[in-house]
Amino acid sequence: MERRSNLIRLFFFSIVFLVIVFPFLPLLLSSVSFGWQWPNVLPESYSFRAWEYVLAGSSGTWPAVGASLLIAGIVTAVNILLAVPAANALSRNKFTGKWLAEAIIFAPIVIPPFVAVMGIHLTFLRLGLTETIFGVVLAHLSPTLPYMVRAVMISYNTLSVDWEDQARMLGAGPFSRFFHVVLPHLMPGIAAGASLSILISLSQYLITFLIGSGQVVTLPILLFPFISGGDPAIASAYSLLFAGMAILTLLVMDVSLKNYYKNKKASTVKGQQRGVEM
Amino acid sequence: MNDLRIINIKKQFKQTERRGDPAFSLQPIQLTIREGEFFSLLGPSGCGKTTLLKLVAGLLQADSGEIWVGDTNLTKVPSESRKFAMVFQQSLLFPHMSVEDNVAFGLKMQKVGKKQRLDKARAMLERVGLAGYGSRLPDELSGGQQQRVALARALVANPRVLLMDEPFSALDPILREEMRELLGRIQKEFRVTVLFVTHDREEAFYLSDRIGIMNEGELLQVGNARDLYERPASTTAATFLGLKNIIEGTVSDGRFSSIGGNFEFAVNDRFQAGQGFLVLRPEAVELMPNASLPPKGSLHVSGVIQQLRFKHGFYLCKVQVGDEQLECVFSSRQRENATAGQKVDLMVDLKDVWIVEK
Repeated sequence: MERRSNLIRLFFFSIVFLVIVFPFLPLLLSSVSFGWQWPNVLPESYSFRAWEYVLAGSSGTWPAVGASLLIAGIVTAVNILLAVPAANALSRNKFTGKWLAEAIIFAPIVIPPFVAVMGIHLTFLRLGLTETIFGVVLAHLSPTLPYMVRAVMISYNTLSVDWEDQARMLGAGPFSRFFHVVLPHLMPGIAAGASLSILISLSQYLITFLIGSGQVVTLPILLFPFISGGDPAIASAYSLLFAGMAILTLLVMDVSLKNYYKNKKASTVKGQQRGVEM
Repeated sequence: MNDLRIINIKKQFKQTERRGDPAFSLQPIQLTIREGEFFSLLGPSGCGKTTLLKLVAGLLQADSGEIWVGDTNLTKVPSESRKFAMVFQQSLLFPHMSVEDNVAFGLKMQKVGKKQRLDKARAMLERVGLAGYGSRLPDELSGGQQQRVALARALVANPRVLLMDEPFSALDPILREEMRELLGRIQKEFRVTVLFVTHDREEAFYLSDRIGIMNEGELLQVGNARDLYERPASTTAATFLGLKNIIEGTVSDGRFSSIGGNFEFAVNDRFQAGQGFLVLRPEAVELMPNASLPPKGSLHVSGVIQQLRFKHGFYLCKVQVGDEQLECVFSSRQRENATAGQKVDLMVDLKDVWIVEK
């Protein structure tokens, strides 16, 4: 029995390895290669030229990473602020035209972003919002908000109004009710939505390119010219850097969320031991 | 006096989307609950008792009518400022807070300092028999314990009125009895005014000073348990109180006679002439010893025993009297000579009969 489950584990592990880890190996090799040409299985010579370029101050990598994270952070924060009341309204109320409101919010998932961005670009040009981080943040909201709203809506659906009624009967006003009862319940949904929102915003190329018009430089903007025919070694290095940035951001979020729950648990576990001693 | 007064409260719900489903409405209800009184609303599910409770709580907005406590009009005051407390059918303990934080929640909302509110919460937990459980999380407790915590949480902030919406109906019978006793004791200790909603008449009878029977959005009758049981105002109330012996007939010339003619006796002038229903409590029906005359002032019928069933400590007996079936309760000793299929004589003291006007 145990052996069998070990085999199954091994099988899944190899699949995960093949699908997720393996593709990174050529990327890694390519980033340290010097003229890697067909039909060689491995590069002929190695060099850290690409990494030197990418990590050097003159390439503008670090400001781009900063801009990417700043935009993703602001976008996600704004998304949370928008999605929570929206999800509340959509999942709790019946009103005429609800389907329309939902359709508009979820449209960016279905409609290709390029279509919308062309119009947005024109409008932003008129408003003078292009070439600004603010404009890019606004444009990033449309493809990310639907996921956030969706995730928070699911959390809201599992929260019966009784909880808030109970808090009300204990004297909690609207703010306290939200902060002490609703928000803790929404936390997992918000975390799920925030991860999606961060990832989508980080990987946005087209929208950033059009709205930022080359003035707002995020990592994908730097990365793109190298992929589309520039220097494959540098493109590989950037790709790895990008993946690292995304994974690190998710990890930070995950750890802080776990800490949030752990702190809650720790305080009660500590209390429990006290309780037993009494 | 801080009586809770419900004045002509009324609520009409819109027709639901399903067609043919009549719109539910709560008829204007007028009720005064005295300070420190334990008042139960008893009625079948869907009779509007929970709606009335939520109107009192302010969780629903009434169409018209007012809610007063003492000299304060609370009609327009939001729920959170009414200083009422409520225990729901589910314990609704906040899952991310420890038990004592849950209990202290109301005090926290009143901006009571942390140490003070936790001390009070622990003291309250001790009162409900959960000393030392304060630091656990709610999901580590059993259903009964959770409901105790919910009770402690409701009482800790000294509410003006404690509202309870079938708080024990999700518990198993033994636990329910335990909780009943605990609630009765604690209510007396704190002398808190309680408005209790239930469909369990045993629960209502055990706990209440007074009971209001509700049906289809109407408050049918208010009184203490014995009054209601012995003198129901309508057949609906009688049926809901578990009185099955309801026999149609008429009162005229000082006599009641049933439609089938099997029940006929002189009534005092308490009962008005006209059509009515005779209500016989099962305990009031007695087996008559063989070959004896019915004593004066009693109703006498004879019938055939259809069924005898042992219930805890007594026998439930169904007797066919003409077209009517009577349900009676006999002690084990009384039943010794009776078997199913046997013809028996029954009598009821006229003091124990009750007639409801049609």
